[in-house]
Amino acid sequence: MNWTGKDMDTYLLQKEYIDTLVIPLVKVETKMDNMKTSASSTEFVMHLASLIETQFKGRMMFAPPFAYTPETDQQHMAQTTLREFSTTTFKHVFFLTTDHTWTAMELPGQVIWMPSIPLENMDASLRNSILEDQLRQALPKFTEEWSKH
Amino acid sequence: MSSKVSRRQFLSYTLMGVGGFMVSATLMPMVRFAVDPVLQPKGEGDFIPTPQKVDELTETPVRVDFTIKDRKDGWYKSDVSNTAWVYKEGDTVIALSPVCKHLGCTVNWEGDEKHKNEFFCPCHNGRYEKNGKNIPGSPPLGPLDEYVVEVVDGYVHLGKTVPNTLV
Repeated sequence: MNWTGKDMDTYLLQKEYIDTLVIPLVKVETKMDNMKTSASSTEFVMHLASLIETQFKGRMMFAPPFAYTPETDQQHMAQTTLREFSTTTFKHVFFLTTDHTWTAMELPGQVIWMPSIPLENMDASLRNSILEDQLRQALPKFTEEWSKH
Repeated sequence: MSSKVSRRQFLSYTLMGVGGFMVSATLMPMVRFAVDPVLQPKGEGDFIPTPQKVDELTETPVRVDFTIKDRKDGWYKSDVSNTAWVYKEGDTVIALSPVCKHLGCTVNWEGDEKHKNEFFCPCHNGRYEKNGKNIPGSPPLGPLDEYVVEVVDGYVHLGKTVPNTLV
């Protein structure tokens, strides 16, 4: 499910089935040298998110991506903005990111960290197969969390 | 005298010619607009080619990926990737939609080791038989949709999805 009115209607009717919230975290760099990597990894995260969304549409809700800049105090962001998600009605919360700093932080959910792969020069079929490989690697983390409850 | 064209005849012929030309100049575009829908190209047609050869199909469903090129959503054009589970039943080719009828996840053939010969939905353990029939006791409430299949030059072409006709 995506963060749209229509999908949210489905969620409200099917709360017991759609029990997982995924929040993409993307870093927006402002310096010229890092802008390209930042854009590329954002593209990767968003493509991966949309692939996971089609595969697990009926169980996962995808929040809009949370963006921050290099100056952002991530520790502070984790304790304020992102802490809010600990009170959500979703049973399982995941954060999807390519930024390694999040793995060391206390977040109200599991961090799924993926190394960023530049997708911009790939044709669609290669891109899809690479993303599917990445999904296969992330999958155990989802199923493990699901099997706990 | 009869072979000669009189001034009056000459003028009336010229006027008729020029007049006719002008009338047709206004009428032609009108006619063109009136029949325009007939002249429109059919676009991609309703069937989308896939890379799957019919000869290579067996009775085991295989995943076939295909792309709908340039689908228009308003003014936004995009390529949409799509998937089908395709197998042969006798000589007929059957293509099932992978979209779970419960909440729209993607189902996999033998996606769970415990349930062989079935489609499996990883979200809520939905199960379907090979022909797409939902197995009672699992969350899905209906059978998997079916694609309209056409075979062109030995390749599988897929059309739109229709409610399952095999169950």
